[in-house]
Amino acid sequence: MPTLVRKTLGEYRRSVIGWLIGISAFLSLYLSIYPSIRSNPDFYQQAALSKYPGPLKDLMGGLADIASGTGYLQTVVYQLLVPLLLIMFAMTLGTRAIAVPEEEGTLELTMTLPIDRRRLVLERWAAFSLGLLAVALVTLILVLALAAVGDLKVPAGNIVAAHTGLFLIAFFFGTLALALGAATGKRALALAVGGGYAVGGYVIETLGKSVDAISWLRWVSPFHYYLDGRPVFQGWPVGDYLVILAATAVLAMTAVLAFERRDVGV
Amino acid sequence: MSYLRHTAGRGRRRNMASMTAVVETEGLTKFYGRRKGLEDLTLQIQPGEVFGYLGPNGAGKTTTIRLLLDVIRPTSGRATVLGADTRDSAVRGRIGYLPGELALEGRERAHDFLNFMADVRGGVSRGRIDELAERLDADLSIRMGQLSKGNKQKVGLIQAFMHEPELLILDEPTSGLDPLVQQEFLAMVREVRTSGRTVLMSSHVLAEVQNVADRVGIVRSGRLVAVEDVAALRERAVRHVEFHFDAPVPREAFEGLPGVRDVTVEGANLRCTIDGRPDALIKAAAKFTVVHMVSSEPDLEEIFLTYYSEEAPRAHAGA
Repeated sequence: MPTLVRKTLGEYRRSVIGWLIGISAFLSLYLSIYPSIRSNPDFYQQAALSKYPGPLKDLMGGLADIASGTGYLQTVVYQLLVPLLLIMFAMTLGTRAIAVPEEEGTLELTMTLPIDRRRLVLERWAAFSLGLLAVALVTLILVLALAAVGDLKVPAGNIVAAHTGLFLIAFFFGTLALALGAATGKRALALAVGGGYAVGGYVIETLGKSVDAISWLRWVSPFHYYLDGRPVFQGWPVGDYLVILAATAVLAMTAVLAFERRDVGV
Repeated sequence: MSYLRHTAGRGRRRNMASMTAVVETEGLTKFYGRRKGLEDLTLQIQPGEVFGYLGPNGAGKTTTIRLLLDVIRPTSGRATVLGADTRDSAVRGRIGYLPGELALEGRERAHDFLNFMADVRGGVSRGRIDELAERLDADLSIRMGQLSKGNKQKVGLIQAFMHEPELLILDEPTSGLDPLVQQEFLAMVREVRTSGRTVLMSSHVLAEVQNVADRVGIVRSGRLVAVEDVAALRERAVRHVEFHFDAPVPREAFEGLPGVRDVTVEGANLRCTIDGRPDALIKAAAKFTVVHMVSSEPDLEEIFLTYYSEEAPRAHAGA
C-alpha cells in the first residue's frame, strides 16, 4: 500500500472506529425491535401512518408495509437515517483529506514531500474510500446477521444491493466534500455546500414524487439514483448505481484538477 | 545600491558563477489578489552557500520560500531549485524544509511521523533520526498534538535535516528554541556547509544568521533591497577597541590614523572605534608594550538597520 494511503488511514482510524460503533449501535437497536412489530403489524402500521401525515410520510419514504420485514428494513435502515449517518461520516472523512489539514497547517509539510499534487489527492481519496468501505462492509455483515436473527425475510442479495447503494451515496457525498475541500481549502464551505446538496437532494427526491412542480428536478438529486430502484424490494438497480459511480469519478477528477492549480494555505 | 551589487558579485562568488545555482529565480512575482506578496525577485544562491534571508514579518520571506517549494504558484516569473522547475515534485526529495509556521497535530507520535517523512523521501540512514533527536534533546515518543512549541520546532528541524538534503530551506528556524539548542542548530548548519550543501534560512534579525551566513539578502515590502556579503559587511563594521599598555601613552601617537575615530587616552589606557580594518591601529599600538586588548564584536545589526532606513523610501515608492 502506498505510504501516504497507509499514513492517512492511520489518521482516520479513530474516526472510522467511532462512527462504526455509532452506526452499529443504531442498527442493532432498531433491527432488534422488529420482532415486536411483526407480532402486532396492524397497530404499528396505523401508528406509523398517523405519526407522519401527508408530505412527512413521503419524506419517510411512504411508510408502506412498515410492519413487513422488507418495508421495515427500507424505512428504518435504508430510507433516511442510516444514509444520513453514513453521509455525515463520509463528509467528515472527505474534508479531512485536504481542507482540514490545510486549515490546521499540517498539509504544508506533506506538500513538500516528493509526491506530486495529483498523487497526493488521489492517495488521500483512496484512504477515504477504504475507510468508508470498511464501515460499509462491517455494517453490511451486521445487517445481514440481524436480518437473519430477526427473521426479516428479505433476500440476502437484496440487502447486499441496498447496502451497496448506501455505500455509493455516501461515497458520492464524501467525494463531493473532498473535492470542495481540495478546490477551496475550506472545511466549513465543503460541509455547508455538500450538506445542503444532500438535504436538498433528499427532499426533492421524496417530495418530488407527489409535487409536480419539482419532480423534474429529481434527476439532479443523487438520492434519485439511490432510492428510485427500491433495491430492498427489487434487487440491483445497476444503471442507477453506475450513474452515482460515474458522478463520483467526475468529482474525484475535479478534486485532482482543482488542487493541481491552486495556492495552498493562503 | 550599486555598491551593494558590486560587493555581492565579487570575490569567490565570481568563481562560482559558472556553476549551476542551487536556487535561481528570475522576476519572481506573487500577488495574492491585489495584495503584493513578492515583486520581481531575481536571486541566485550558489552551491555550498549559507544564504540568510532577512526582513521584517510580512516582507515576503515566507512567500518566496513557499514559491520555491511549489506550495503557492507565482503570478509571473520563474524559479528553479537544484536545476529543476519548482513544479517537479521529485526534486523535493532533495530538499529539507522547515516551515515558518510549523503545524504538527494529531495523536501520531513524533517518531512515527518522522519515519513516514523518511519513507516518502526514500529512507534515511539507520540511527540518523535518533542521533538528531539526541543532539537536539527531543523526546520523540510524545504525541504530536501534545508537543510544546520548542519540541515541535525540534521535530521540524529533525525532519528537515534527517535525509541530508542538498538544499535546506529553513523559515525562521530558531524561533522557539532555547539558546543551547540554538547553538546546536547553528553547528548543524555549519556541518551542512562544510559538506558542500546549501542552506537558505530566513530570519527577521541579522544576529541570528550573521555567524553562519555567507551572504544576506534583505527583503522589504515584497522587494529584495540588498544582497550583501557578510564578510564585507563585517569588514566595514564599526568596532570598539580598547588597549591597555604598561605605561602611559601619548594621544598623538593614535591621532589621524586611517579608520580610527573617537580616540580617548587615559594614562595607560586607549579607547577608540575603528571602521574597517584594524591594521593601522595595531601597527601604531605595536610601538608600545601592550598588556591587554579588548575588541568588541562588530554590530552588524547596526549596519543592517542603516540599509533599511536608506532603502525604505525606495521600497515604498515601488509599492
